[in-house]
Amino acid sequence: MDAIKFILNGGEVAYEGAATDRLLDVLRDCFGCKSVKCGCKEGECGACSVLIDGRLINSCCVAMGAVEGASVLTLEGYRETERFAALSKAFSELSAVQCGFCIPGMVLAAESVLAKNPHPSEAEIREGLSGNLCRCTGYNAIVNAVNNAAKEANGLW
Amino acid sequence: MDKISQSVVKKDHAPKIEGRSVYVGDYVTARDGRPILTGKLLHAKVARARVLSVQVPELPAGYFYVDAKDVPGDNNVNIVLDDTPVYCRETVEYIGEPIGMVVGPDEKEVQRILSGIKVNYEELEPILDLRAAEEAFFDYEFGHGDVEQAFREADKVYEEEFETGYQDQTYLETQGMMAEPEADGRMFVHGSSQCAYYIHGAVMRVLGCGPTGVHVLQDVTGGGFGGKEAFPSILGAQVAVAACKAKAPVRCVFDRREDLEYTSKRHPSLCRYKMAVKDGRVIAVDCDVIFNAGAYSTLSAVVLQRGIIAAPGVYNIPNVHVRGRAVKTNTTPCGAYRGFGGPQTFFAMERMMDHVAQDLGVDEIAFKEAHLVKQGDMTSTQGRYHFPVPLQAMIDEVDAKCQLKRKHEEYKKRQTGRFRRGIGMSAYFHGAGFTGSGERDLIKAVAKLRKYADGTVEILASNGDIGQGVRTTFPKIVANELNLPLDKVYYDHPDTARVPDSGPTVASRSLMVVGELLRRAAIKLRTVWVEGQEQEVEERFQEPDFMIPFYLDKFQGDAYPTYAWGVDAIEVEVDTFTGVTRVLNAVGNFDVGTPIDYNIVVGQMEGGFLQGIGYASIEKMDYDAKGRIRNNSFSDYLIPTTKDVPNLTAMLHVEKYPYGPYGAKGAGELPLVGATAAYVAAVEQALGAGKHPLRHAPFTAEDTVKELTKEGN
Amino acid sequence: MVNGFVPKTLQEALELRATRDLVPYAGGTDLMVENRENVSYLFLGKLPELRQITVDGEYVRIGAAVTFTEALASDLVPPLMKEAVSRIAAPAIRNAGTFGGNLGNGSAKADSVLIEFVADAKLRLVSVRGERLVDVDKFYLGRKKLDLASDELIAEVLLPKRGLENYYYEKVGGRNALAISRVSFAGVFAEQDGKITNIAAAFGAVADTVLRWKEVEQMLIGKTLAEARALKADYLKAYEAHMTLTRGRVSAEYRKAVCMNLLGEFLAKFGI
Repeated sequence: MDAIKFILNGGEVAYEGAATDRLLDVLRDCFGCKSVKCGCKEGECGACSVLIDGRLINSCCVAMGAVEGASVLTLEGYRETERFAALSKAFSELSAVQCGFCIPGMVLAAESVLAKNPHPSEAEIREGLSGNLCRCTGYNAIVNAVNNAAKEANGLW
Repeated sequence: MDKISQSVVKKDHAPKIEGRSVYVGDYVTARDGRPILTGKLLHAKVARARVLSVQVPELPAGYFYVDAKDVPGDNNVNIVLDDTPVYCRETVEYIGEPIGMVVGPDEKEVQRILSGIKVNYEELEPILDLRAAEEAFFDYEFGHGDVEQAFREADKVYEEEFETGYQDQTYLETQGMMAEPEADGRMFVHGSSQCAYYIHGAVMRVLGCGPTGVHVLQDVTGGGFGGKEAFPSILGAQVAVAACKAKAPVRCVFDRREDLEYTSKRHPSLCRYKMAVKDGRVIAVDCDVIFNAGAYSTLSAVVLQRGIIAAPGVYNIPNVHVRGRAVKTNTTPCGAYRGFGGPQTFFAMERMMDHVAQDLGVDEIAFKEAHLVKQGDMTSTQGRYHFPVPLQAMIDEVDAKCQLKRKHEEYKKRQTGRFRRGIGMSAYFHGAGFTGSGERDLIKAVAKLRKYADGTVEILASNGDIGQGVRTTFPKIVANELNLPLDKVYYDHPDTARVPDSGPTVASRSLMVVGELLRRAAIKLRTVWVEGQEQEVEERFQEPDFMIPFYLDKFQGDAYPTYAWGVDAIEVEVDTFTGVTRVLNAVGNFDVGTPIDYNIVVGQMEGGFLQGIGYASIEKMDYDAKGRIRNNSFSDYLIPTTKDVPNLTAMLHVEKYPYGPYGAKGAGELPLVGATAAYVAAVEQALGAGKHPLRHAPFTAEDTVKELTKEGN
Repeated sequence: MVNGFVPKTLQEALELRATRDLVPYAGGTDLMVENRENVSYLFLGKLPELRQITVDGEYVRIGAAVTFTEALASDLVPPLMKEAVSRIAAPAIRNAGTFGGNLGNGSAKADSVLIEFVADAKLRLVSVRGERLVDVDKFYLGRKKLDLASDELIAEVLLPKRGLENYYYEKVGGRNALAISRVSFAGVFAEQDGKITNIAAAFGAVADTVLRWKEVEQMLIGKTLAEARALKADYLKAYEAHMTLTRGRVSAEYRKAVCMNLLGEFLAKFGI
């Protein structure tokens, strides 16, 4: 039986389990990607967001068979990038991180917004983050942080 | 801005944004390297029944079934009273009540065993509706003046009934606790929580051991909002019993469905208000407040106390009578949620004031302004507002920010189009710290500072950072007094094995009460500081001497040393075709004293305010005819997204409290308290004030269409 | 691969579908929430034959595995469909969710399906036996019941190229994003030489399937606007009579009131 092969944070990996298994569970339990959080298991909160081939996806709504041959990026990989450093700085300056549980998904959603549109309007940022629930902040600090990161990006995106 | 208010990078920023923080669900092994067993609760499927038998299928090796028979100590969880069982007694009292727990190494196998368990019930008639409740867990009454006389003398007497629904805290991280039996015989309990010492006390009692037989650590916690005040004591006790039986580490993390259905939430309320008016002034109010406590009393006593003390609002009314009851129903036990009873009664009082003003033909805002309490006035419990009450200035600031009064006038004109607008205002407070003599008599907070030889200082206290930032603000206070750079002072998540009991992380008390203890401790340390030496100092809570002693039996005295004040203005546009209401503008003005960190405080205010708007509008939760919570998933229980209230502004008005650190007072809960009243007032104005008195929250799109259909629009 | 197949071509997929008991998996956003036990998936998301948006003389053809995000980026997809699709959930769901999946899930709340109903779209269904075209309203047999044989797959949505320019669309959800439709409405209007040639109205999320009553629409077909205005009361009454709605997250009464309001607004927009 062939394993499911995919790229995880830049490295080739193989998964021997079932194609019906949930990417979220596999990332957390088999590959140690604990930054990927489970908030609801129904695609309604965004805490488990990852980037698959550059697209923002809720990993709770992905079966392993669907990632065969794909490239999956979690915060464990993304946090090594300059773009992450810029977002982290912007978030820190506005204390946009409270309980932190939504943050890994939120950061990847922010990356997804800026990758598509390096100079988004506030409304576009809000649209881009609209699948990521945060119960702590009321969102203003997060939206403003993404906006600031975009402004100070100097061509990072 | 005071120096202490200047924002810093939060101490937990980097680990959280890098995804390195370890929440309870993230542990790969127990602390000693042993594998962690998964525990899953067997929840009752009926609202009220005698449990005749529980048939557990044969268990594979390494799997356990745990229930009340396995509790080594007392099968009661200590909260305020002790009526909440760890695992159910002979009866189950609500859908979801834990009957037992299945524990084992493989989660899927645990799930399989769980679904194979047969429970035989003898069903009993449940009581679901609070109006039908027969038993009151708590029944309080107080007042001042002569209410009956006032009602006799009144020009006009008004009576209205207000209702509010459930609200779920909806922290993004669900409830989760873990228990690890340690080699030295102690039970180590840790998880997502607000009050390490509450859990410590509860687990001691359940295991029947002394204070050194247990220690409790607060893990990084993905939001609490009150929801992790008492509930982790129950879940902590359950996993501790399971770990005892299995002699192995056990973790139980709820899935979202369990969390929404079975964990404590804001009490639904029914408030009957009667108000007497003479010569255009309110001369008496009689408030009858009923909270649906659910099946067990948990925190209902204290939630109700706070709720009824706030029942007459922020107004100077000479004659007051209040009765409050928390009634038992066969529904999920309700508990703490940010605001703690206040949002329900402020909703009733603010709406009542609006409606009376409308009937008198005077402007609602002006009517409220004319009745505002002032410094020196008597509180509802015959205490005093000892410090300046800045509400009028705060209303003026809100008015300047969003043209509240001009718009309020403009929207009074009859509107007939599809889209109609309204603006509503609320004024409210949140009593800072524990109600009554709790700090002095029950909590008796102790905090310590330990200075190490290398000059770093560790804060030893039991208040958990649940996102509100105490891991940053506590060190800011201490570093400021010691003239140290912030990185020399640190505060870890509390473990009861090594920190004193500085009290729970509740009641907006951490910063004001414990922060002040730490400030004084830092001053003490400064005076005894010896370079290169390890030193420790301690501070204990002292009640400020200005306080009028509070007597709970009479509800008399200062219920709070001081108050955080709030004024909200919410402007909406209602689509009369669909009922969908857009918030055009939400402005909250919050006086929480000196912000110890500007960004942190603004973040708290914005977050709390949005939760309040959710409560007012879209966060509807109800149970079905059998008593099961219907809204048990994230597609059925809706909280605001980034796109729901894009125009939300939090303003800070600073009225310093001389007994809080640098003038800080309670902050966390305030911003949620007034949103419901302001929002519903705005919708009411859009639909035509006077024509459509709105008396419940949340007020949904469906409610709006129903209201308009009544009229035949 | 255990419990799953990732075919490389549509032909391979059809052979697998014909010979094994497999659940077609496109974007996963509905299936994974259902979390079915003991099933095997047939992963269709990467099949090139299902990933195209093309146009011919009559139709815009949207492949079953085209995602909502891809449709939003395409110049070929009509604005009405884009507007509906842009209101689906949130970006991460639109990045994964597909047109085929929206259909195959069988829900009356599916936002793209509403548009297919109002547009008289056809579906191309394929199997090893061949292929057939079916009208979308015939495809839905009832709640979660589809006219889809156990060896068939949805290959394409055929959306008429013309006639969707004049439309009225409204989605009522519980909030502004991440919202499942509580009521959705789409109306399409066309006139030629002063006479109404099309006045289609479809209602989503209010019953077991998307609703459309062509016989009521017929009342106004061939009429001038003035004649239509005269018939308006009867026309609305006919809708009232047909509309037996179910309760869901909101009551049937609310749904009906909103449907009638939006229907009225649709007429008003086009001068009736």
